[in-house]
Amino acid sequence: MHIIKNIFIALFGLAVLFLMIMPNAEEKNDGKTHVKYWYVAGKEDDVPYGVIKFNVSQDSVIIDATPIPWNEHEKKILTAILSEYPPDVVTLVSTVPKWASRRALVMLDDAIKKDNFDTTQFYSALWKEMHYRDRVFALPAYTASFAFFYNKALFEEAGLDPDKPPRTWDEVREYSKLLTKFEGGNLAQIGYIPPYGNLETSFVMSLELDAKYTLNHGTKVNLTSPEIVRSFQEELSLLNDIPVEQINKFKGGFGFGSQHGFIAGKVAMMILGNTFIDQIKTYNPGMNYGVAEIPTFEGKETKSSTGVWWYAIPRGSKHKKAAWDFMKFAVSKDVQLQENLTNGQSLFPTNIQAATDSAFLNYHFAMKIFDKEMRHTESKVICPLVHDVFWREYAFARERVLYRNQTPQEALEQAQRTIQVSLDKAIEYDNYVDKELKFEKL
Amino acid sequence: MIKAIKNIINKQPFWGYLFVSPWLVGFLVFGLYPIVMSLYYSLCQYDVLRIPQYIGLRNYEELLFHDDYFGISIWNTIYYLLIRTPLVIFGSLLLAVLVNNAVRGIKYFRTIYFVPSIISGVILSVLWMWMLNPEYGLINVTLSFFGFDGPLWLIDQSWSKPAIILMSVWSIGGGRMLVFLAALQGVPKELYEAVEIDGGGWWSKFRNVTVPFISPVIFLWVIIEAVAGLQVFVEAYVMTKGGPLNSTLFYNLYLYNKAFDDFQMGYSSAMAWVLFVIALIVTFIQFRLSKKWVYYSGGK
Repeated sequence: MHIIKNIFIALFGLAVLFLMIMPNAEEKNDGKTHVKYWYVAGKEDDVPYGVIKFNVSQDSVIIDATPIPWNEHEKKILTAILSEYPPDVVTLVSTVPKWASRRALVMLDDAIKKDNFDTTQFYSALWKEMHYRDRVFALPAYTASFAFFYNKALFEEAGLDPDKPPRTWDEVREYSKLLTKFEGGNLAQIGYIPPYGNLETSFVMSLELDAKYTLNHGTKVNLTSPEIVRSFQEELSLLNDIPVEQINKFKGGFGFGSQHGFIAGKVAMMILGNTFIDQIKTYNPGMNYGVAEIPTFEGKETKSSTGVWWYAIPRGSKHKKAAWDFMKFAVSKDVQLQENLTNGQSLFPTNIQAATDSAFLNYHFAMKIFDKEMRHTESKVICPLVHDVFWREYAFARERVLYRNQTPQEALEQAQRTIQVSLDKAIEYDNYVDKELKFEKL
Repeated sequence: MIKAIKNIINKQPFWGYLFVSPWLVGFLVFGLYPIVMSLYYSLCQYDVLRIPQYIGLRNYEELLFHDDYFGISIWNTIYYLLIRTPLVIFGSLLLAVLVNNAVRGIKYFRTIYFVPSIISGVILSVLWMWMLNPEYGLINVTLSFFGFDGPLWLIDQSWSKPAIILMSVWSIGGGRMLVFLAALQGVPKELYEAVEIDGGGWWSKFRNVTVPFISPVIFLWVIIEAVAGLQVFVEAYVMTKGGPLNSTLFYNLYLYNKAFDDFQMGYSSAMAWVLFVIALIVTFIQFRLSKKWVYYSGGK
């Protein structure tokens, strides 16, 4: 027994000693600065083009890129920041204010000024999204652009001119009637489905109607404005009196790739992202389709919206300066252009010069339309402090209207009430925290 | 000094505490501390990344009196609990009775019935999303084979909750069945013989002997399943995200949305404590009711 005790104590002492003197596995003794970069990716060996190029472009900094899976990626980064052992640079896709308002990102204004960094190289809506309280916290990495796709073969079948896509939502409604088919009481083909596609039709409509979503410098939610109420009514009318349950049953058979509603030729018109060019090429190469501007209302301009991936330096980063140098490099014209040409059209550049370069435009006839839509894009960040609450309530309200559970006015009133409560609380909390915490600078 | 340390080491309690210390540390760090902190955070505005702001009982007030989704999520959860609990308990009991009979190859049947319960909730949910697909799903295709037009299941607000309950019944043959099986084998055979002598059939045996004898086990499962029912989450998180029209917005899903989408940790902590109180009330009611139907053969 005595021997066992002594052995146990000796082992315990050795373990403590080992923990004390164990070298940090992250430390590398090659004399270079190692910058930890976390990015969301599917494959481990899928190192981003910008990282490869940056690592060979100079010999003082190495970007150690670590892919993290999409699932719960925000929580992983959040945990890393809280543990005070964050990566030096990350790419994220949720809103910048959501992270910046929580003092989780390093402020970039001083570095931008010092380096005379050209901020006009980005699409204006995307650049606007990089701000919180008029300060910059991120650089736009890549985005998606949306346009109106239509199936020319189905247009011809329905007696419509395949070279004349609808320009207004009234035309979409009329074309949709002609393009919708039933078999045995069930939908077999449909013209346009508002709740199916990459953008919320009602939101695009409201932007085209110049809706003001907030008042009083963003402190008052204005969902019941006549323009937003009208956008819900207009979207509902696009269903052409087909019950949404019947449409959902039809949609239930759709999936990805060749099973996608548009690619499978089941839906004739859709708002889709630029990635669909490659998807159509892969899954239905013979498809006869057109791409046009997103329809609008008579006398109004087309509008679009999008999300954006962005680079940022998390609070507590050990190599801020090197991370900043990498970020600038990764969003430059040449890197974005080559990255897109290498990866096909899975990404759309945030850099205008890259998106308008002839090598990029020549890839597909629709690229000019995607570029134009990017210039008419407006941010989806309406209430920065309660972004997720806003969009969840908006989606719920939209669902209640499409299911004919409430009128647009009732649904939007309910959503407005809920968002306003959350927003008031968030503003109060933000003001409280502002007295205690300051933004970390580069 | 060294002598004092040696004295402590040589005493038996030291070794006792040392060996239970992993559990003790685990409980204090990962159990008690979060519980206590969640009570404090429920009185604050707090988003993890910033400092908490004390706001008193405002989270509770908002949740109980002003939140449109509180009532909806409670109703959805109670509906799930009330329908599912008896279904899974009596389903498992029935299965246990079936596999309790000494028929040929019974070991294999027991294994087969147990298999569904070892599949993880997420995989099960994805599997059932396809089974419940209104257009191509196995269930509706089978129904249409017999001339029935199947419901829209997860995309119809009136069928979404029954669909999720149907899915949860899938795994009735798991741990519950095994415990019931063990309980059934503990029922004295002579009591069945007594019923037979009195001319009673299988129903009399089941009702007057089996059920009273295993009622403590049934009661145990009623408690466990009711608490589990209050915590329903994975199915709705994977399959419906709470839709359509919030018909599957269960309480825990709403709590999760508040905590991890909105980062409203204070509010979600308050929600967790309200759920705890509800679970406490449900369990208390069950204990009161148990006096009327649970039979303890050796007395309490």
